[in-house]
Amino acid sequence: MSVLIGDPVLDELRQILGPGHVLTGKADRLNRARVPAPFPVHRWAERMPDLVVLPASTEEVAEVLKLANRLRIPVVPRDGGTGLTDGAVPLCGGIVVDVKRINAIREIDLGNRTCTVGTGINALKLNEVLARHDLIYPDDPASYPCSLVGGRIGTSGWSLIGSRYGHSRDLVLSFDHVLPTGKVIHVGDGIGRKITKSSSGYQLKHLFMGHQGTLGIATEATLKLFPRPEAEFSPFWAFEDYDSAYRAVGALARAGVATFAGAVLFDEWKVAYLRRDDEAYIPQPSSVKALVCAALYGYEDEVRAGGRRLMRIARSHGARYLGDEISEGDWAARHDRYATPLHGRTRSGQVVPMSWHCEDASINYTGLPAVRLAWHEIADRLRRESDVFDDWGMFAYTNGATGADYLTEIDIGIWEQRLDDTAWEAWVRAKRDLAAVSLAHGGSISACHGSCREGEVDLVPEELGGGYDVMLDIKRTIDPNNIMNPGKYLLDQAYAEKS
Amino acid sequence: MKYRYQEEMSPPPARRATDVAITRFEHVYEVEPGLMTEHVTQQTFPNWDTLRLVRSRADHLAWMHRHFADKVISGEELLHDLDE
Repeated sequence: MSVLIGDPVLDELRQILGPGHVLTGKADRLNRARVPAPFPVHRWAERMPDLVVLPASTEEVAEVLKLANRLRIPVVPRDGGTGLTDGAVPLCGGIVVDVKRINAIREIDLGNRTCTVGTGINALKLNEVLARHDLIYPDDPASYPCSLVGGRIGTSGWSLIGSRYGHSRDLVLSFDHVLPTGKVIHVGDGIGRKITKSSSGYQLKHLFMGHQGTLGIATEATLKLFPRPEAEFSPFWAFEDYDSAYRAVGALARAGVATFAGAVLFDEWKVAYLRRDDEAYIPQPSSVKALVCAALYGYEDEVRAGGRRLMRIARSHGARYLGDEISEGDWAARHDRYATPLHGRTRSGQVVPMSWHCEDASINYTGLPAVRLAWHEIADRLRRESDVFDDWGMFAYTNGATGADYLTEIDIGIWEQRLDDTAWEAWVRAKRDLAAVSLAHGGSISACHGSCREGEVDLVPEELGGGYDVMLDIKRTIDPNNIMNPGKYLLDQAYAEKS
Repeated sequence: MKYRYQEEMSPPPARRATDVAITRFEHVYEVEPGLMTEHVTQQTFPNWDTLRLVRSRADHLAWMHRHFADKVISGEELLHDLDE
């Protein structure tokens, strides 16, 4: 597809949106061609949209999609552009629909503890307003200061404190959704905007969350709110070996403490990386090989009681508390990982600028040790192949309050400026291998980011089995002309089968 | 901040912290300069700017705590409770 200045498409879009909200400049398009995930810089041109539109309402989004559907123009929705599986990256040119102008707080309903917002709003900015009412919207990704509600819906996001409050799928009650044809529907539990549980009809809310922009665009969402926490407790503990830390994090997660919001396990590679290239833990003795942290939120008396219980459990597993200064500083930094400038090392030890990428999976607790070793073998292979890659270690974060499964991630530093086709192929192969390990251990390819990037996406049909065939049928039915984010999740094959 | 330019541009002598890091100010670490000679070279910072960056980071983290909760519970206090 190619849209030229003066093209009737542009004129029609300007009539819908106003002339200032249709962008065709190179900088406008370059800046919306990528996300923070590793990016084949040498192939940037392949990811460029033809133009960008900035709608201000559900009605304007609907008109844009009607036009695109009529003319078969690809459309890619973009919110904060902070996702790590390329949902917001155009693979076939077309129109990027940037929803940042749809960012109003429409209503704060104190009686029902909900708010209704435009999906272009950021949770940090929303929470600054909600704090005046002693309320919080506790959706807390590592991109908390820069991700937007609509992106959290499109990716079905994961929250750092989700073990206490739930993740995006639990916190978003309902939303207006523009289908690829331009039709506007409202999805939630039943039809109610503020209903948390309904058994009426199919449960469509989950279908329209996590689709990575392949099924339409969410424009206005109603969110569940909680009392703003009176107190926070975020202890960090050091261990002399991974196995002790692993046993401790399991015991903490299974303790059943009501204010428990999450726990994180840092492996030996992660601790080594943080001491080498992140400054953290440099003063700690070399005997520190693994770390665990936990977070609790709630009323002060509850948090103190739960905190004492967790401190007792950690101590019984050989933990050494790292002190208030480290605990408080490092937990606060967890909310904002995108602000950290990063560097890694060549094999000779020289510092190089690297971008951060974490490959994630959902792994049961009992699978964590084996997955960790298999993943580091893959990272080690990458490291041996090229100085472009550096192993930055692994985290495992609790997914829920019972400790069944963990968001498991391996962080790989990538020297993007040096990427070429050979290194990119090695990277894609590694991603496929990491995903295969997750499936071999009964896990899911992604707990958090989604799985539609090159490499791991090849294994999605294997993971979902017959469910993937249903995905193809749904995609073809809802998006008959394949305009929404074509090229993602291998869904183009839905149309090949049809023809 | 020191008044004389030369004083600000002369950092305190480095102490080795680990095999890959040195330190010149309390709790502030730098990569061992020999490891930043090929692909990324170190910049010269006035002392006040180094300390400003570190304090700004601390301010940001303190703000983040206040953003999420009114109060941060001390683990050292809770440990003391357990020991009593």
